[in-house]
Amino acid sequence: MFYRIPEINYIYVSKLDEALEVLHTLDNARVLAGGTDLVMDLKIGRIRPETIVDISRVDELKYIKDEGDYLRIGALTTLQDIVESSLVRAKAPVLVKAVNEMASWQVRNVATIGGNLCNASPAADSAPPLMVLEARLILASREGEREVPITQFFKGPRKTELRKDELLKEIIIPYERGSGQHYIKLGRRDAFTLSIVSVAALVKVSNGKFSDVRIALNSVAPTPVRAYDAENALKGREVNLENIENVSKLVLNSISPQ
Amino acid sequence: MSAAEDPYTLMEKWLKAKEFLVVGKGVRRADAIEKALGMARYVEDFYMPGHMLFVKQVLSTEPHARILGVDASKALEIPGVEGVFTAKDIPGENQVGYALPDQPLLADGKVRFVGDLVALVAARDFDTAIRAAEEVRIKYEPLPYVLDPLEAMKRTDVLVHEEVGSNIAFRTKVRKGNVEEGFAKSDVIVENEYRTHHQDHLYLETEGALALPELGDRLTVISAGQYPHLVRAIVSRVVGLPESHVKVIIPYMGGGFGGKDDEGPLVAAKAALVARLTGKPSFLLYTREESLIMHPKREATVIKYKSGASKDGKLQAIDVQIIHDTGAFTNRGPFILWRATVHASGPYKVPHAKVDGYCIYTNKVYQGSYRGFGNPSVQFAAEAQMDRLAEKLGMDPVDFRLKNLLRPGDTTITNQLLDHSVGVADAVAKLAETAGWREKRERYSKENGGRYRKGIGIGVAWHGISTSRGVPDWSNALVKIEKDGSVSVHTGIVEMGQGSPVSSHRQIAAEILGAPIDLVTVDFGTTDAPDTGATHASRGTSIGAIGVYVASAKLRERLNRLAAELLETSPDDIVIKDGKAYARSNPSKSISWKDLIKEAYARGVEMSATGYFFLPKGKFDDQKGQGYAYPAFSYVAMIAEVEVDTYTGKVRVLRIWPGLAAGKIINPTQVEGQVEGAAVQGMGYALMEQFVFDDKGRILNADMTDYVIPTALDAPEIMKPVYVEDIFKYGPFGAKGVGEMALIPAPAAIANAVSNALGIKVTKLPLTSENVYFLIKGKR
Amino acid sequence: MEVFFKLNGQPVKVDVKPNEVLLDVLRLKLGIKSVKRGCERAECGTCTVLLDGKPTYSCMILAPYVNGREVATIEYLKENGELKPLVEAFADVGAVQCGFCTPGFLLTVYAFLKKNPSPTREEIKKAIEGNLCRCTGYKKIIEAIELASKKMKSG
Repeated sequence: MFYRIPEINYIYVSKLDEALEVLHTLDNARVLAGGTDLVMDLKIGRIRPETIVDISRVDELKYIKDEGDYLRIGALTTLQDIVESSLVRAKAPVLVKAVNEMASWQVRNVATIGGNLCNASPAADSAPPLMVLEARLILASREGEREVPITQFFKGPRKTELRKDELLKEIIIPYERGSGQHYIKLGRRDAFTLSIVSVAALVKVSNGKFSDVRIALNSVAPTPVRAYDAENALKGREVNLENIENVSKLVLNSISPQ
Repeated sequence: MSAAEDPYTLMEKWLKAKEFLVVGKGVRRADAIEKALGMARYVEDFYMPGHMLFVKQVLSTEPHARILGVDASKALEIPGVEGVFTAKDIPGENQVGYALPDQPLLADGKVRFVGDLVALVAARDFDTAIRAAEEVRIKYEPLPYVLDPLEAMKRTDVLVHEEVGSNIAFRTKVRKGNVEEGFAKSDVIVENEYRTHHQDHLYLETEGALALPELGDRLTVISAGQYPHLVRAIVSRVVGLPESHVKVIIPYMGGGFGGKDDEGPLVAAKAALVARLTGKPSFLLYTREESLIMHPKREATVIKYKSGASKDGKLQAIDVQIIHDTGAFTNRGPFILWRATVHASGPYKVPHAKVDGYCIYTNKVYQGSYRGFGNPSVQFAAEAQMDRLAEKLGMDPVDFRLKNLLRPGDTTITNQLLDHSVGVADAVAKLAETAGWREKRERYSKENGGRYRKGIGIGVAWHGISTSRGVPDWSNALVKIEKDGSVSVHTGIVEMGQGSPVSSHRQIAAEILGAPIDLVTVDFGTTDAPDTGATHASRGTSIGAIGVYVASAKLRERLNRLAAELLETSPDDIVIKDGKAYARSNPSKSISWKDLIKEAYARGVEMSATGYFFLPKGKFDDQKGQGYAYPAFSYVAMIAEVEVDTYTGKVRVLRIWPGLAAGKIINPTQVEGQVEGAAVQGMGYALMEQFVFDDKGRILNADMTDYVIPTALDAPEIMKPVYVEDIFKYGPFGAKGVGEMALIPAPAAIANAVSNALGIKVTKLPLTSENVYFLIKGKR
Repeated sequence: MEVFFKLNGQPVKVDVKPNEVLLDVLRLKLGIKSVKRGCERAECGTCTVLLDGKPTYSCMILAPYVNGREVATIEYLKENGELKPLVEAFADVGAVQCGFCTPGFLLTVYAFLKKNPSPTREEIKKAIEGNLCRCTGYKKIIEAIELASKKMKSG
């Protein structure tokens, strides 16, 4: 009642092809996947599209598939479906941990993983886990598909690699066997809140030494970031708290403003 | 009045009751089911789109400016707009200040904060009203402004209210003994400056009102509010109608916590003004953003506190300066400041005291009523001082408190003699035992290495019941036994979640009348009831229900006499319970409740009564800073256990043990609900809730995304309260106030626990991750 | 535009504008007052409804989105009686104070207990993270959910 959303056109599509066709023809359109971020952005006037393209009924983009060495997640999979997926829990636990702490059950029931990524908030909580997992994104348009590593997807606050005629179709998540994964979120309260900072880490250890280290953070830069300096400094070092504490300061190199 | 119906006699009689039918039991509240099923009606539920005007507010965007003109021409051109109203349209008085006449309803000549109300737009529907409000052009001449209270106190070149000649809006003082002498006797002295911040009530329902013009120049207003008769008085003053022409109904409210006591009459007056000027039903509802930027807040404070104790562990003197950031208008600021000033010592015996209070105008949102009313901040300071003194004396904080806590026969810092109902020392001793205080305190004080540190802290507080000083206070109610034996209670006490009219009032009426409780219905929040006073200051039951208590007792006397006549025995021999009246001496002589009432109607016994009671009070001398402060105090203690992550500064409250000395507990389930809710609200204040102001004093986080309150995952484990039932002679069955209590010591207990965990003194709230992180860093 | 959906088991057709949210359609057009307006920012939980059986906030759902879907509010659960043990537990334990958040809580909890009839205390807290309550401090709400889950299993 109080938030006046400007007059908009509303289009339903139920097939991916149809969606891509519509996006190709329309100029000032926004895609509604779950709409949880979109509707708030409309309410506060952050965006003013002429048309909303409701893709929530494109069922072919709702799936979690196990391909052995990797998982494929359709962009319209809801956050709650990811939380409840035993497949994701087994093969990408850091993603489940992160998504489980996003917003609330009511939001996760509608919000989609694709929507969270494409909204490209610097505080997007699904980004750090996908960045340490080195997920790849399949972007589709009428012209065809292309694959983009997630680390190259975010271009700035609410800016992505996505062209306006493109749709995020799928997220490919490599299965990192033998890795340890963790995620910590610090917010103003313990649930249902934006990250002040959240951090995802993925490590592999052999002979008591870090053989692989990946660290990603959100809310500390215009986009979610990997902390490469800290990662490189830790690789090859012995696994102990002192080494971690020393190296953790290098995370500052990756955040801005510092 | 017959001698048999003298309130003092009746109250004395019922205070002696030892066995109870329903009092003291966790009777289910009458409104639970209809609320759960979504049938309970709140203000917005009465709004009928298309049949009523929608009112939208136009607020100041300037912190301090002269209004050069309001151009509503573009707004008025929009079809469906019925009017744009400003100060000059007010038919009555444009004055709504509760303590001092410094507040217009609609800005008159100048605006004093970002959010000050300049105009009201009325339109056929909300879309049009919102659009039209955006088209109202206000021309301002910006004035210099002042945001910091310490700066405002010194400056006279920038005045929020020129007519006052200073930004000091109000002063208070308390003097006892001679503080120089007290400090000379002290072996340890500690002196600190404390700072606390604003807090929003964040009731889930924002403020709203619906005004309906009636025939014969009358007006019915369905509104938020915590005192229907005050809402009516303000409406009547603004629209210029006699109070008897205005009827106010306060329906169910989605939380109040003091905020709707201040803002309720104002939202009602705004809707009523539009209804009066247009002759049409008019509805106004605050957006969440409006609610956050314009309704009064828990005040921000700066408290300078010096206290001293002798090495035998006795407090000797306190010297306290309390500065309240009052904002643009005093509102209830002077009353809030009074309460802070009088309570500044905490519930302790202090022979020498000097307390000075200041309300300071600034160009920010103004200070208002909020659960605890000036007391949580000053108890936070007082209790931190107690811990520092104990530390210097090498005493355990609880032992030190026990040595100084007030006991019956002691006098307060205003020299008021506390002759009865002072159970605080017992409550603290029991609570410390229950919480395992000594063992934990010792353990946590030793363990201070590692990333996560635990701590335990205590806060003890007191809170005067009723209005401060000699300000008149009374209770009343109309109780009617209908012909069919059902009982109607009419009270001005409102239902905003606290539950008094739907729980304790019913229990009290049923207990005294002996009527089955299911037959008792309470009509609350209405000016159709006699003036009952406000639902604030924890008085909903403690004072508010005295009227029900006395009126019911009068009716019971009549029923006893009638039953005695019918059963041929004496009135003292009559028992009424389980749906019948019988003779104690011969229980076979009985008459059913319903038949007894039929007989009353048949034999000319009046079955309605009011229960007026005027609280006897003493005098307070404002010049000397001495005298009678309150008829009684409720006491509360809280022990909090916390864990601090020293890497991130994140504080988690793990467990809370509450203790109450609040007289008779009428409904333990409801009291627990008040204690638990207040504790978590206090925790939110201590840890996470805060406003961010920009350089114009504008609130930047006016939404629930960025003003955060605790979720279920933030709430600590809260233990069963420890009760000491220190009976208050004027309270119903000896009850004192409960509603605000557990909030008051919460910031103190949590801050003291964090101090204990970190070994660093805490003098500033809130304890956000960021603030605690820097607190730790500062030490390193 | 017209949208068709099932509201509390009954098909409804309602004329909406695409920029309207479900909360306003329910409250202002369909007279469903149990769905409360709290924050309008998907931050408080008072406007919770069940959308295809799952709790969600009606303030963040554009009206056209519900076309062809099912919306349930407390009125529906009241009719079909499934809610009784839950409501009774909330009333008995003292989990209702101002009541403004309660219908939203009940919808969330109802859907939760269907998925997880024997929850742990931590699971309960997690389920209700998106329903804020300013009155109770949550303790009695959590206790009521525990009691209801026991009653529903035994009954």
